[in-house]
Amino acid sequence: MDELMEILEELRPDVDFENEKGLIADGILDSFDIVALVGELNEAFDIEIKPNDLVPDNFNSAEAMLALINKLQDE
Amino acid sequence: MYKSVLCWLDAVAEKFSGKTVFSDKNTEITFSQFNEYTKAIGTFLADKVTAQSPVIVMSGRNVYTPACFLGVVRAGCFYAPMDSTMPVHRLNQIIGVIKSDYMIVDKENLEIAKSLDFQGEIYVLEDIINTNPDEALLAKATENLTEETPLYVIFTSGSTGVPKGVITSHHSLMCYINAVSKVLDANSGDVFGNQSPLDYIAAVRDIYLPLKTGASTVIIPKNEFAMPTKLFETLNEYKVTALCWSVAGIELPAKLGAFNCIKPEYLKKVIFSGSVMPCKYLKIWQQNLPDVMFVNQYGPTEATASCTYYVVDKQVEDDTVLPIGVPYENYRIILLNEDGTETEKGKTGEICVSGPILALGYYGDKERTEQSFIQNPLNNNYRELIYKTGDLGSFREDGILEFHGRKDRQIKHMGHRIELGEIEETAKQIDGVEDCCSLYYKEKEQLYLFYTGSASSKEIVLHFRKNLPAFMSPRKLMNLESMPHLPNGKTDMQTLKTYMK
Repeated sequence: MDELMEILEELRPDVDFENEKGLIADGILDSFDIVALVGELNEAFDIEIKPNDLVPDNFNSAEAMLALINKLQDE
Repeated sequence: MYKSVLCWLDAVAEKFSGKTVFSDKNTEITFSQFNEYTKAIGTFLADKVTAQSPVIVMSGRNVYTPACFLGVVRAGCFYAPMDSTMPVHRLNQIIGVIKSDYMIVDKENLEIAKSLDFQGEIYVLEDIINTNPDEALLAKATENLTEETPLYVIFTSGSTGVPKGVITSHHSLMCYINAVSKVLDANSGDVFGNQSPLDYIAAVRDIYLPLKTGASTVIIPKNEFAMPTKLFETLNEYKVTALCWSVAGIELPAKLGAFNCIKPEYLKKVIFSGSVMPCKYLKIWQQNLPDVMFVNQYGPTEATASCTYYVVDKQVEDDTVLPIGVPYENYRIILLNEDGTETEKGKTGEICVSGPILALGYYGDKERTEQSFIQNPLNNNYRELIYKTGDLGSFREDGILEFHGRKDRQIKHMGHRIELGEIEETAKQIDGVEDCCSLYYKEKEQLYLFYTGSASSKEIVLHFRKNLPAFMSPRKLMNLESMPHLPNGKTDMQTLKTYMK
């Protein structure tokens, strides 16, 4: 989680990732944030986020992203 | 002859009355409903406003926003759209330039509107959209309207730190829409998928092509652009046939691999603009959609959206550089050397534009208007204004125009036009920033800020997020011991460039 939080905070220091639950639904992260984020997560966690993983449920909160990362690492 | 966009609107409202003109995820409205809304808003405003004055419109990404724009026009005025998601400081700067007495907002944005430095009257869209239309009043409100009356003022980045309001007339807009609709063969069977924010120049295609041709436009929710398979599902759900998107918008789905899961089934034409297309992404679109027509466009807001176009005529490769093509109808392009002489074929010069599509200048800024819109130095016989774009280009032997970047420090990032100077001016407002320089790392599409001083990077990012649109906020910050300088005292940007990686 720490590593993920570090990436998120560097990406958008203005966002409260600990408490935000609607990062996509509320439009807090935009498409360019997602492109940058997907690249960084793939590299940092040695995973491959596929287009089908790019749904709001997987990115609305830091926990959701962590769950996605764990799932992809297990595959 | 059509002297204003209202003539287009009257014509399509009659011909296509029951057909959908605009839709969003919640609402769908027909041409005739849309027309009624514009008349209601126009009637409400007409006996309050002074004709030919600006009215600010700040409303959401939905079908009512274009109705507001045209409602303002029905009242004999012109609209200045604002995006409420912009930082308050930016909105206040726009208000300071436009000095409007009236603002229309939707309920959702009322609180924001009230918090701004706006002294005029604020009207809530939901309260005025059902006003009973008064045809006589509307006719009177527009009786002095001519082709050259301003239609809108759209704001763009200014190097001094204050945005510039580009004023476009009815005539200029209609010239552009006529020209682009011919190239696209736009017709009543088309469904456009809107990507551009509605306050941005690129949205004029999605708003006015339907009013000219009877086509429809779907306003796609912004967050779907972060979720590309959802985005393509939406294109299929609404049977979207045509996209007028920024290059950045076209890149995204290709970059995120959306075509591996789903394809847009109904697309026939895709036109893109805003920055140079990296052809490795266009190639993916072409391979997946071999029957679609792709068109590259080039042009500044000051020459009404786009000046030139190039229909991509073959399969591109990763390293293909698309030309920007030939001028649209009613646009003339000349290339000038630094000394004001005409650039020879094959040589690089500044791209200058003339024709009835030139903007009426920058709102309330005579000085900058006169600097940028000048008499054609090649013409000593009659008055012919040209707009100096600051872009460099060259004509090929066959008359096709190629693009070679900027003369100055303006860049294109995520489809938006940015003056690096404006970023620096904003950074310098922070106490802990002594000196700074902003550069663009084109290959990685990242904005950098190099600075000296004690400010933390978090402090700086928060300041940017508060004062500039998100796309202007540098993603990479580098705190330097000292700024490298050239012998003449100017910042040594070449050295700084080597720090970007």
